[in-house]
Amino acid sequence: MAKPIIQGDTIKVPSSPEFLPDVDIFLEGTLRGFGVQESVVADIAISVSELVNNAIVHGNKATLTKMVTVRITRAGNVVTVRVSDEGGGFDPTHVPDPLADENLLQEVGRGLFIVHSLMDKVEVEATGSGTTVAITKAI
Amino acid sequence: MKLTDREVNNVVILEPRGKIMGGPDASLLHDKLYELIENDKKRVVIDLAGVEWMNSTGLGILISSYTTLRNHQGELKLANVTDKIQSLLTITKLVSVFDAHDSVDEAIKSFK
Repeated sequence: MAKPIIQGDTIKVPSSPEFLPDVDIFLEGTLRGFGVQESVVADIAISVSELVNNAIVHGNKATLTKMVTVRITRAGNVVTVRVSDEGGGFDPTHVPDPLADENLLQEVGRGLFIVHSLMDKVEVEATGSGTTVAITKAI
Repeated sequence: MKLTDREVNNVVILEPRGKIMGGPDASLLHDKLYELIENDKKRVVIDLAGVEWMNSTGLGILISSYTTLRNHQGELKLANVTDKIQSLLTITKLVSVFDAHDSVDEAIKSFK
């Protein structure tokens, strides 16, 4: 069974939700090391948990041999977190509107909407080897 | 997430604690809810005081709890919604779905 791998500013985890807490512990520890205030730590942690969930489920199709990579960097007062999968990519414009009345009681489909609401910038980059979503937040 | 429960005046209070982010969290609350319904306990308060934060998976768990109870002629109330969770309920418009109260006592009293 593969395990999380931590190298400097990066953690790689196999594609299973059981590794979400490992990502969260690494992320929150890194952010507190940057001196980020708790409310912002929570906003970034929520957003990263959404992206890692998406990478596991939609990107890597929960294939344990495929990894999700999370890299945390800081430049001045801006934190950037990049979440990468090894999947076939997705079209963020094809996500149903979670605020539409007919979708209000859907149990899923709000993740990216929440990320956009909490973060300053969200960029999706699809490559031949997977998708990377980069989020930035002023701290 | 950890989950404890207690009962007051035929109302079950579920007390999740920690972060609700996915993985086994959903099945933990889901299984508990079905156990309650099987035992004909259908008036439930989820006390969110001990929840640091939740993501969309957590919101999905709340919606699932709400619809499951409603489909079994039961009722769900929320109590002690933290500012962080309240802001998520607001931006997702789910604030209009849930009956939320400032305390567990108020939530219990609100059952007719």
